[in-house]
Amino acid sequence: MKEVMRTITRNQRILVVDDEPDLTTVFSMGLEDNGFKVDAFNDPLLALAEFKKGSYDLILLDYRMPNMNGFELYTEIRKIDDKVKICFITAFEIYYEELRKKFHLAYDNEDIKLIQKPIEIDELVRQIRGQLAS
Amino acid sequence: MTFSPSERTEVLNGVENITNTILRFLSNAKNRISGCLDSIDPLVSIGVELSEKAAIDLKNRGVKVKHITEINKENIHHCKELMQVFDELRHLDGIKGNFLVSETEYLAIGFALHETKPVVQLVYSSIKTIVKQQQYIFDTLWNKAIPAEQKIREIEEGIKPEYFEVFTDRDRERVSQILFDLAKSVKKEALILLPSVKSLIRVDRLGLIDNVIMASQKGATVKIICPLSEENSNITRKIAEKAPGTSVLNGNNSPYGMYIVDSEKFLKADVKVPLAETFSEAIGFCIYSNSKISVESFRSIFDLLWNEHTLNEELKRADKMQTEFINIASHEMKTPTQAILGYSNLIQRHPEKRDEMLQAISRNATRLQRLTSDILDVTKIESKSLKLTLEKFNLNELMSDVVDDYRNEIEKSNSDVKLLHEPQKEIIQLEADKNRLGQVISNLLGNAIKFTKKGTIRVTGEIKDSKVLVSVKDTGQGIDPEIMSKLFSKFVTRSERGTGLGLFISKSIIEAHGGKIWGKNNDYNANSRGATFTFSLPLVRPGKAETGTGTATGDASKL
Repeated sequence: MKEVMRTITRNQRILVVDDEPDLTTVFSMGLEDNGFKVDAFNDPLLALAEFKKGSYDLILLDYRMPNMNGFELYTEIRKIDDKVKICFITAFEIYYEELRKKFHLAYDNEDIKLIQKPIEIDELVRQIRGQLAS
Repeated sequence: MTFSPSERTEVLNGVENITNTILRFLSNAKNRISGCLDSIDPLVSIGVELSEKAAIDLKNRGVKVKHITEINKENIHHCKELMQVFDELRHLDGIKGNFLVSETEYLAIGFALHETKPVVQLVYSSIKTIVKQQQYIFDTLWNKAIPAEQKIREIEEGIKPEYFEVFTDRDRERVSQILFDLAKSVKKEALILLPSVKSLIRVDRLGLIDNVIMASQKGATVKIICPLSEENSNITRKIAEKAPGTSVLNGNNSPYGMYIVDSEKFLKADVKVPLAETFSEAIGFCIYSNSKISVESFRSIFDLLWNEHTLNEELKRADKMQTEFINIASHEMKTPTQAILGYSNLIQRHPEKRDEMLQAISRNATRLQRLTSDILDVTKIESKSLKLTLEKFNLNELMSDVVDDYRNEIEKSNSDVKLLHEPQKEIIQLEADKNRLGQVISNLLGNAIKFTKKGTIRVTGEIKDSKVLVSVKDTGQGIDPEIMSKLFSKFVTRSERGTGLGLFISKSIIEAHGGKIWGKNNDYNANSRGATFTFSLPLVRPGKAETGTGTATGDASKL
C-alpha cells in the first residue's frame, strides 16, 4: 500500500513558471517537500520551448512576466496539451476578477483556478492537491 | 375714370422748375416727410435744396423728417450734418433711389451727367394711391434700417456690421457655402460641436476638416467635440497625424451642430436628416451671425461642454491610474511578501539552507521597504509636503559612494556590465539634500543596470555654466519611444519589476532643488544604443542669493 501511494505521488509532476527566482525557489522547495516532482522556469519563453505534451499533471503560472505574460503562455500551452491542469498564481488585486472573466470568455467557460499571492506553502499544497483530485 | 383735379402726376425738368416744386412740396407737408437718399451724395439730392431756412421752417411747423441712406466712409461727414437737420436718419446697406413722401405728395429725383454737367429730372405725384404705395415702401425699408448713430460708430471704431441671418432648408446650398467659407477663414480659433458620428464624415466631405487642419498647422487653436466611433475614426486619425495640436473630445449626440470661428462668427445648424450623406442634405433651420452677444453665448455653451468633457476624461484617467496603482503596488508588495512567507515556511525543514534563506528574506524585506518609502514619497510629493533637509557636502563623494554600492551588487550578480566612474579629486560643493540626491543618482544608476544586459554604464559629474551636471550613460536597450513623452510620469515603466515611481520621484526631488532632469537615447552606433539620463542643479540655490542667509527657505525648510 505504501508502495502504491509513493508511486502515485511520484507521478504528480508540476511545472512552475514565475519570473521571480525567489518565488520559483520557494514554490519548488515547498512542493518537493510534499512529494511532488517539480520543474521551474523564470523565463516563460524557455518554459514554452521545453514544454512537451503529457509531461506534467499541473502547471502553476504567474501572470505578470517579461516577454510573455501568463495568459499568452497559457494559450500556447493549451495548443500543445489540452489535458494538463493549469493554475494561475497572481499577486494582482484587480486583474484577478478580470482574468477570471477573460478566461471564461476565451476558453468556452473553462473554469480557471486562480491562486492569490501571498500564500502559505501548506495552503498552496492543499489547493494544488484539490485541483489535481478534481 | 379720372382723378380729382387735385390729384396729378407730372414730370419736371429745369433747375428752377424743380427747385420750386421741391420747396412747394416742403411747405405743403403738414406732419411728416420721409425720404430715401442714394449714398453717392446725400447732399446733392437734398442738402442743396433743403436749405437751412427750409429746415428751420419744417421744425417750427412740427413736421417730422425721417431719412434713410447708405452711410459709408466717404459720406460719413455729410451724414453727420444731415443728422442735425433731420429728426431721424437711418442706414440701410445698398439703398437705391432718391424720393420723398409726405402725407399728400410724392417726389422722385433723377440725376444724370450730361457731358460733365449734371441734369436733373423730377417726378411729382399727388395721386393718393401712389403716395400710399411709396409711403408703404418707405416704411418697409425704414424697419429694416439701423440707426445712423450705430452705423457711424461701427465705421469709426472699425466694427464690422452685425448680421443675423436665418436660413430654412430651402437655403441648404448657401449654408454649405457659408460653413466652407467659415472653415477657410479660421485665423486664431475654431470651436466645433458636431451632432453625430456621421456629421464628422459629412463636414469632412465638405472640406471643413482639411481647412481646420491647415489653420491648426498655422497655429490656430482647434477644438472639436464629436461622438466618436470606428465609423469616423479614419478622420480623427487624419486630424491626429496632420494636426496633433487639435483636440478632439468624444461627445454625446446633439440635435444641432455649432461652428464658432475666431470668437467672431458662428453658424448653428439644426439636424433634420441625421443619416444624410452630405451636410446640405442633413441640415434644417440654421443661424449664421457675427452678433457679439450671440457668439459669446454660443462660445460659453461650447466651453461648458468642453470643460465637462475634459473633466470627465480626467476623472476617467485618474480612475485608471488609481486602478493601475493598486495593481502594481499590490503586485510589488505581494511578491516580496510571498518570498518572505515562503522562506519562513521552509526554513525549519531545511536547516542546511538557513543562511541562504535568511539572506533571501532580508533581500525581500529590503525590497518591500524600498517600495513602502517610494509610495510614501509619492504621497508627500502629491500633497506637496516633500521637504528637503539641506546640508553642505561634496557631490563627487556622494557619487562615488552610490557607485560603490552598485559596483558590489554588479560584481555579485556576475553581470556582463562594467560600471565606469572616475572619482574626481575636485570638490563640487553643494548645499542640498544629500540623501535625496543620493536617491536620485541611485535611481538613475539602478535603471541603467536594469536595462543594460552587457556593456558599460558611465557616471559623470561636472560643472558647466554655473550648473552642476550629473549624467548616467548606458549602452542598454534605450528608451522605448512609446514612453518617451511620459518618462517622468507615475507608473510609467518598461520593466516587469518595478512600480514606475522612481523617475517620478527623482524629477520631484530635482525640481525641488531648482534643477532639471531629462533622459534621451544615445546617438545610434554599430555597437550600442543605450540612453543617457542627466540632471542639472544650480550651484547657488535659487532664492538663496537674494536672501543671503544660510538658512533654507520655502520648500527646503528643515524637517
